[in-house]
Amino acid sequence: MSQALDQVKTEARRLLSEGLVDVFVGYKAADIPMHPQPAFISKADEADALVYDGFCANNLATYLPQLTRSTKIGMVVRGCEARAVNILALENQHSRENLFLVGVPCTGVLDWRKLTARFGENVSAAVDEGDTLQVTVDGKTQQLPRAEALHASCQRCQHPNPTWADLMIGEPLPEGDPERVWAQADEQIGKTKAERYAWFAHEAERCIRCYACREACPMCYCAECFVDHITPRWTESTTSPAGQHAWHITRAFHQTGRCVDCGACERACPMDIKMTYLTDKLNQDMQVKYGFVAGMDIETQAPFATFSLDDKDRFVE
Amino acid sequence: MAYILEKKNLSNFLTALAPEYQVFAPVKRGEYTQFEALTANEELALDDAHNTRVPPKALFLPMSETLMSYRPNGRAEMAALAEEKRVVFGMRPCDAQAVALLDTVFEAEDYNDPYWRQRRDNTLVFGLGCNQPCASCFCNSVESGPFSTLGQEVTLTDLGDAYYLQLNETKAEGLLEGLPKASPQQESEAQAIQKQAAESMPAPFKTAEVKAELDTNFNSAFWSEVSAACLGCGICTFLCPTCFCFDIVDEVQRSERVRNWDTCMFRVYSHETSGHNPRPTKRERTRQRVMHKFSYWLDHADQIGCTGCGRCVRYCPVGIDIRAIVRKAADLPLEVAHAG
Amino acid sequence: MLVSQSNPYIPMPMRVLRSYAESADGTLRTLELGFENKADHQRFFDSFVPGQFCTLSVFGKGESALGVANAAWEGDFVRFTIQRLGTVTQALHKLQPGDSVGMRGPLGNGFPIEAWKGKNLVIIGGGCAFTTLFSLIKHVQHPKLRQDYGEIVVVYGTRNSGMCMYKPELESWHEMHDMEVHQAIDVAEAGWAHHVGYVPDVVKQVSPNPENAVAVVCGPPIMTRYTLPALVEIGFPPEDVFTSMEKRMKCGIGKCGRCNIGPKYICKDGPVFSLAELQALPADV
Repeated sequence: MSQALDQVKTEARRLLSEGLVDVFVGYKAADIPMHPQPAFISKADEADALVYDGFCANNLATYLPQLTRSTKIGMVVRGCEARAVNILALENQHSRENLFLVGVPCTGVLDWRKLTARFGENVSAAVDEGDTLQVTVDGKTQQLPRAEALHASCQRCQHPNPTWADLMIGEPLPEGDPERVWAQADEQIGKTKAERYAWFAHEAERCIRCYACREACPMCYCAECFVDHITPRWTESTTSPAGQHAWHITRAFHQTGRCVDCGACERACPMDIKMTYLTDKLNQDMQVKYGFVAGMDIETQAPFATFSLDDKDRFVE
Repeated sequence: MAYILEKKNLSNFLTALAPEYQVFAPVKRGEYTQFEALTANEELALDDAHNTRVPPKALFLPMSETLMSYRPNGRAEMAALAEEKRVVFGMRPCDAQAVALLDTVFEAEDYNDPYWRQRRDNTLVFGLGCNQPCASCFCNSVESGPFSTLGQEVTLTDLGDAYYLQLNETKAEGLLEGLPKASPQQESEAQAIQKQAAESMPAPFKTAEVKAELDTNFNSAFWSEVSAACLGCGICTFLCPTCFCFDIVDEVQRSERVRNWDTCMFRVYSHETSGHNPRPTKRERTRQRVMHKFSYWLDHADQIGCTGCGRCVRYCPVGIDIRAIVRKAADLPLEVAHAG
Repeated sequence: MLVSQSNPYIPMPMRVLRSYAESADGTLRTLELGFENKADHQRFFDSFVPGQFCTLSVFGKGESALGVANAAWEGDFVRFTIQRLGTVTQALHKLQPGDSVGMRGPLGNGFPIEAWKGKNLVIIGGGCAFTTLFSLIKHVQHPKLRQDYGEIVVVYGTRNSGMCMYKPELESWHEMHDMEVHQAIDVAEAGWAHHVGYVPDVVKQVSPNPENAVAVVCGPPIMTRYTLPALVEIGFPPEDVFTSMEKRMKCGIGKCGRCNIGPKYICKDGPVFSLAELQALPADV
């Protein structure tokens, strides 16, 4: 991905100087090691400050609902981000005509917490060199294979290639192995109900209701989230098991047929909560029972968003 | 007055504090540490170079706290105040200073918060200074430092195989009575460590001095720039030891009026019933957060509302660094042309 | 100003004495509450100043901050006129005499009525924000207090005549020789004998004399935004123009953090501010 940087800059410069976009969304250099910041540039010369590597790990599509529909937006996108953009366009959050996507086939984003867990908090620099990472701690630089720092979602990614890009930088990568994708969901299904619930409760217990998962997720764009609805109050806002469980379960279900498994939610969570196993199972159900994968094109509605006469209705039997 | 507690005696020392005190100390939980009430044989994470994920303000202002329960006849019954006497062992100076700062809010002269006051009155803080401040620490820029003693009854310095305990408040003296006094050599050792820690930090940047620039540039495009990437979650405020905003809600399932941590970073925080929102976008909300800490706190309490713990810096999902914001603010003009 | 024993979060138990519609369309309703505990009643009126507010608490729904609409001398009750807008105010509208409700107060700074002694009062209100101005007017009308203040000019505008609050009192004020009362409605109605127009325009027409006078403005934000500069134009210095600010509130005692305008909390440093004070604060409303 870091090899794509020069081309990303060139494209951003071109799009802005030719007036093809009003704003280009990418990343800029970090104030903090391993934490580049999403950047919104509106002048061609600002493109020089762009960066792009495995530490650029947010899902930029989450910013789209904040920008007006009439804004012409350029954005650099990985596979999952492009799928998220598709869904946003499908759900009428943005118009296709005003989006210019620069696609980068993705070799996976990096989980900075894997690096601090391994090397300690004082990682002063980490450079993504494609196959290896150069990590500097207390003045000494060490190397490790990039694969060892991949975020969990990327390890099971099935669709690294942007399904929609106006320009693709780099050659497409092989699509993922479906068997690998479902490992996390299958592991949960293999447990007894009691074990599954114990795992769920164990993870949810740490939740501090900061809603970083919600804000990092491009599919969570509701003007009023269900937890904020107070007439009547549907969910306990208290950090009680009732409140935490309701939050996690309901948010996962609201993702049914929409989650692109980018893992931005897990990366955002300050309490290291594992939550993608919930959406993994929902995604698995969508694919196995309905043959549907979210965001692969801009036409196909999610199964739960449509109705047709030959829908399966086994639950009515 | 200073004492020595050898690490090999730490477990006994803490055990001896029970049953009179409930002892809280950092323990390892997954990849991070947090303050928990110790049960027997708990392994402590005092040597962890970095701080707990959730700040120990949670021990004084719980994430969720029942204020009162109510009955169908509409009568309220105040929730029982926390009775236990506690020792919080190993609180870092940034967190302890933050708790002392929050006293100015909760124990203000006009209204005294009984829930906060009870926990504060019942708690002794044994602070642990930082021999090796982290890259994200900036306590030395906000009127604190790796061995600041504010908010601590006792301050510990890690000498390697023992802790040097400096008694700051006489009310904790009784707990240290059985310990040997520190020798002059141990005192020098502690002082050398403290000096080295302070010197290892990057040079401080201007904070309180930037108030004038912040106040003058309330309407500046600067705020749009620094808030552009903000997701609008609550991580920075919830992990912040000096943030104290709370919401009060009636939980009908339990007939309780509860207060929960809240954050100025959520849109609904300032959303009025009429539909008007004085802070409709991230720009206004980020501005509120920064101005509160680096300007309004100075107006209220003559202190900066930030103790440099660095949690917001480490855990912001989009890499927003409040140090960078304050540094940039120093370059803002002091004279601003007024819109016509 | 402690509100309940030593715990400022616990509401005082109150009982609804009277409840009646205050506007023709029923969206405004007046409640008059009596104290269950005599000690609470004593403490309340010992410190109460017009311009202060209370929070009314309906358990299961929440609390709502409301301006007090009566003067201490009026009797053993506290009056509120409530606009039905959200969950809590909806519940308050359903209360009947005999029902219980919680109250915390008096909160806030109130009008600086001591500093206003010897001055003429120009009192400008709009819509349902007239409540605390009503409290102020009732207060200074007390026979023992009236001579402490000069001439009183009242401008009170509402959307239509049905929304006008406290009609019997207003009618009686037109008869008083030491009060000049200007009522206004937005759009002309048959049989309306007073001004037609928005309050800022009516204020310009009335052109109250700024000499030895203070002006206090309470109304919807849009009305206040245009009335305050109009007063300055007429010649009122910003230190002598006052208004009552509003923001979302929860604790009411300066602890939950949310009602701030810059370094000032509306619940504690306000809600009453002079225009001069507001001009020194950031535009955070």
